This record gives sequence, C-alpha cells and structure tokens, in this order.
Amino acid sequence: MKYITHTPRKSDFVIWAVCSAVILIPSLSGFVLVGEDLLLILPLGILSFFMFNLLIRRSLTFKNYFISPINVLTSKMRSEVSMSIPKDLMFDKMIEVINDSKFKLTVSDKSNYEILATTGISWFSWGENIYISIEGEGEETTMKICSVTFFQVYSWGRNERNYNDLLKGIEESLTV
Amino acid sequence: MAIVVNLDIMLAKRKMKLKELSVLVGVSTVNLSILKQSKVKAIRFSTLDSICKALNCQPGEILEHVKS
Repeated sequence: MKYITHTPRKSDFVIWAVCSAVILIPSLSGFVLVGEDLLLILPLGILSFFMFNLLIRRSLTFKNYFISPINVLTSKMRSEVSMSIPKDLMFDKMIEVINDSKFKLTVSDKSNYEILATTGISWFSWGENIYISIEGEGEETTMKICSVTFFQVYSWGRNERNYNDLLKGIEESLTV
Repeated sequence: MAIVVNLDIMLAKRKMKLKELSVLVGVSTVNLSILKQSKVKAIRFSTLDSICKALNCQPGEILEHVKS
C-alpha cells in the first residue's frame, strides 16, 4: 500500500480567522448599537444555519459543500490510499470495513463508487463525515478519503484518528 | 508475490462456487475473492483449516510457492 497524506494548511486557519473577524466584529458592534433585536436575531441565525447543516449532512449531494476549501466552518483532512485490489472488490471491502468499525455507513453509491460514513456526537465533536471515493483501473485502486468535522473549525485530532482507524480496519481486514 | 493461492483451481475441481464456499467456511465472499486473487496479507490457520475441510484437500493444494 502507498500512502499520500495531505495535512491541513496553516493558511486555512488564517482564512477562517479573517472571515470570523469580518462577520463577528460588525455583528458585535451591531449588538451594542441595536441592542435586544440583534440579541435574538444572531443566535437564531446561527441556530438555523446549524440546523440546515445538520439536515444536509447525511447526503452525498452536499459533499462538495462540506469538503470545499471555501467552507471555513469545517476542518478537513484529505488523504489517498493506493491498493492493488480491483475497484469493485475494494468498494465491497470498504463497506465491510465500515460496518465492522465504529463508523456508521450512511450512504453508499456503487454507480459513482462513493461512500459516506459518519461518526456520532462526542464531547469534542458534533460528529464527522468521512467521504470515500474509489477510483482506478484494472488491479490498481486509489481511495480518496476526506474526513470533515461538522460545524467545527478545529477537529481536536478527530480527523486524523478517523483516518488512522479506517486504515487500521483495512489492514486488519486483509487477514482472512 | 511468491505465494500463489490456487483457490480458483480447487473450486473448479470440486465444482463449487465461491458463494457456497463462503457459507461453508464462514468467510465473506469479498474476503474469499481477495484471497483468490492472492491480495491478502495473511491467512489464519483456522480459515485454512475450514477451507481444507470444505474442499476436502490439503493446504499445499491451495497455497503454492513460486520462485520470483
């Protein structure tokens, strides 16, 4: 197996900080000036945005929204794993691995060779989405894995842990 | 790889399908397919024992060492 790991860039954090400042500073000054109206509008806005994200979370249609570098409200970790197992077999294998792991298989689309697995809510996270897309021809298969936190800019190492757990699961499953 | 798995040959000799073997051995068809293609990292003695029982053969008939 060949591993290529892309770690999150520091510039992502800078973009997030700038965007937060642009949004928060006028909001807070508005809060001071306008008073009680904004006190209600701002939390309601955040809550509705959170609910919207919660609703679209379990769908592969919104994959690009969550994994996009522009989406600064999520922390992402992208990795690639290459294996010499045919694509069809690898897809079935991944489903088996996910079912035997702590992850919950949410969507599996065999026509596009895409899988969406999720983790539950914990003290450090609202849960993470793990997007797996399988590509390749013949015997060689490349799996693109992207672990994304939900409504959370810092993953507390959850993305890395998810990736490692998934790799460990694959390695273990290759012992029959 | 230097170790070749001749599971497909044994299945053909016994006129058995992979799915039937999967039921008899208790290993998923996905895992048996990967084993058949010699892509597995390791094989447990218990699995080998079950396969030998199901196919009524010796481990040497399933596994073969080829000089690479």
